[in-house]
Amino acid sequence: MTPESLEKWLFVPCRHNGISIELTQAENGEEALAAYRDGKAEVMFLDLTMPVMDGYQVLEQLQKEQLNTFVVVVSADIQPKAQERVKKLGAIAFIKKPVKTSDIENVLHEYGIV
Amino acid sequence: MPDANDTTNLLNFIVDRAYVGIFVINQKREILLWNQFMEIHSERKADTVVGQNLFEAFPELPQKWLDRKIENIFILKNFSFTSWEQRPYLFKFAHNRPVTGGVDCMRQDCTLMPIKDDCGEVQYVCFTLFDATDTSIYQSKLEKTTEKLRELSNRDGLTQLFNRRYTEEALEKEFSRARRYNNELSVILTDIDFFKKVNDRHGHLAGDEVLRVISQRLASGLRGTDILGRYGGEEFLVVLPETGSQGAQVLAERLRKVVQANPIKVEGESLTINISLGVTELRSNTAAYAQLIAEADLGLYQSKENGRNCTTLFQPGL
Amino acid sequence: MYCTNMALSDSADKTTLMSIQPYTEDQSDALQEVVNIAMGQAGDSLARILGNFVALSVPRIRLVTVKDVIKTVTDMVDNNAEISAIRQSFSNSLRGEAIVVFAQAGADDLADLMGYDTDLDQSAKQELLLEVGNLLVGAVINGISETLKTDLSFSAPSLMAERTPLDQVLVPEQLSWSHALLMEVNFTVENRDFKCHLLMFMTEETIDSLRGILDEFMDGI
Repeated sequence: MTPESLEKWLFVPCRHNGISIELTQAENGEEALAAYRDGKAEVMFLDLTMPVMDGYQVLEQLQKEQLNTFVVVVSADIQPKAQERVKKLGAIAFIKKPVKTSDIENVLHEYGIV
Repeated sequence: MPDANDTTNLLNFIVDRAYVGIFVINQKREILLWNQFMEIHSERKADTVVGQNLFEAFPELPQKWLDRKIENIFILKNFSFTSWEQRPYLFKFAHNRPVTGGVDCMRQDCTLMPIKDDCGEVQYVCFTLFDATDTSIYQSKLEKTTEKLRELSNRDGLTQLFNRRYTEEALEKEFSRARRYNNELSVILTDIDFFKKVNDRHGHLAGDEVLRVISQRLASGLRGTDILGRYGGEEFLVVLPETGSQGAQVLAERLRKVVQANPIKVEGESLTINISLGVTELRSNTAAYAQLIAEADLGLYQSKENGRNCTTLFQPGL
Repeated sequence: MYCTNMALSDSADKTTLMSIQPYTEDQSDALQEVVNIAMGQAGDSLARILGNFVALSVPRIRLVTVKDVIKTVTDMVDNNAEISAIRQSFSNSLRGEAIVVFAQAGADDLADLMGYDTDLDQSAKQELLLEVGNLLVGAVINGISETLKTDLSFSAPSLMAERTPLDQVLVPEQLSWSHALLMEVNFTVENRDFKCHLLMFMTEETIDSLRGILDEFMDGI
């Protein structure tokens, strides 16, 4: 998932619905949380395997701080148990890599985000 | 260019006649294809096995293990392999070296290939089975030769005892083992008294004969777990695992007596040969295996000083 | 406003990316992502066969020279104790060899982990190592070839080392290449003493051909 590819995936559904988006890229879990606390994220696309603070830890921290955001986990770790875990930790969706535009579109539609 | 029909015929012919076993099963483990190689070696015609369950047709197959392997291919969609080196054969086939082989049946390497449908789901598993009998025979010859070479490279040519390098390596291993398990360990270093005189008076051939006889006598005086090596010209090193200094001293005295018990006949003359010995044991402050050799050497030196033909136990501060 | 979060752009990986000299940043990103996907599939296959959750590391990609290959590998595996290892080659549009390094404790525990009788003989234990190694390598190769839409085939696995210190497994004097692209990921089974590393080495000519394959892949997204 590169910023460019994510933008492309998001661009199509968003333009369809006349929504403009702004992407903030975080270098790791800690930065993602900081960006979130700054009010920079309505939806967070979260990878699981990351150094410093992995995706599970980010989800745990969000729960602990009772931060309500739509977290969509996008991961190459496709084990059913990984999916179970992130759902339990409050993620709204799990998208398997390689990502298809339709996967993202479906999730955004389902939650009425676009 | 051959047309499509020709190509299909050609492929059918090749699959049937290639000197490789090829057969295909479906998810129910029913055989769908059985080529000529499989017919010849299983002595079962294709029309008698096609449609049958693989494990019912061949009860000698390792069902529990193979069935799991097959199931994993349907689930995980990956290739799978078996090698004669770990599992000599799947099917008990005769091989074509009944005279020169030396193995009981055909050694087999096997590839299990998933065949997927358009949706990417595995429909069939194709087995290709290779005759690895020749390879296995070469391999076992090679292993025997290597083993022999290794053995030779560990031995001293003249006495057939272990050589110095091997004996030291063995001591090093025993040293770390004794350290790890807190076991006792002793070492004896021994040297033939006045060996130079034997050489000078009777010549080197006589000297060699004395070395051979004494080597045999030393070996006969030891236990199965002891390691005896020729350490230098007329010097021998004995490694005694799980033995303390007391036991080692008893053993050293036994060796001394065994060597001198009967005169050795060389060139019509009877020579009584004596040895001197130094003994030491592993202590908590022994730094390295080499220290044991050095201490035994000091003990040996003391034995020579004390008039030879005796045993000295190394004592710290000696 | 959207917040995205990328595993491949953390600071540790910045150095990784810079060290993959022959590739542009886009190509490196794409490669990292392809490897992530393939390794994820391998982890999933392993989890299924072991019936356990498998923790995956962030895949690391390095360009190694034959001189520093041992140091790089021992640093990655972070363990110079005894290991067992299997190897397998792959060929076609990409060429190279994959090695799966099993920490010895885990290798010894494998039979139990897979639900076999624990008193298996030596051959049966070797067979398990080959089976699990082949599973990982096969899944990664499939993952890469499916993602990059390129054909890859691979050989039967063979045993490379048993109870051998890691630094003795590769002998630089016997290696005929000077540079290789090395990809590493490790798999750990939580609560069990099982850990293995998957190392993929790609040859020099593959480093070049991969560039074109990656460009095609990025055009296709």
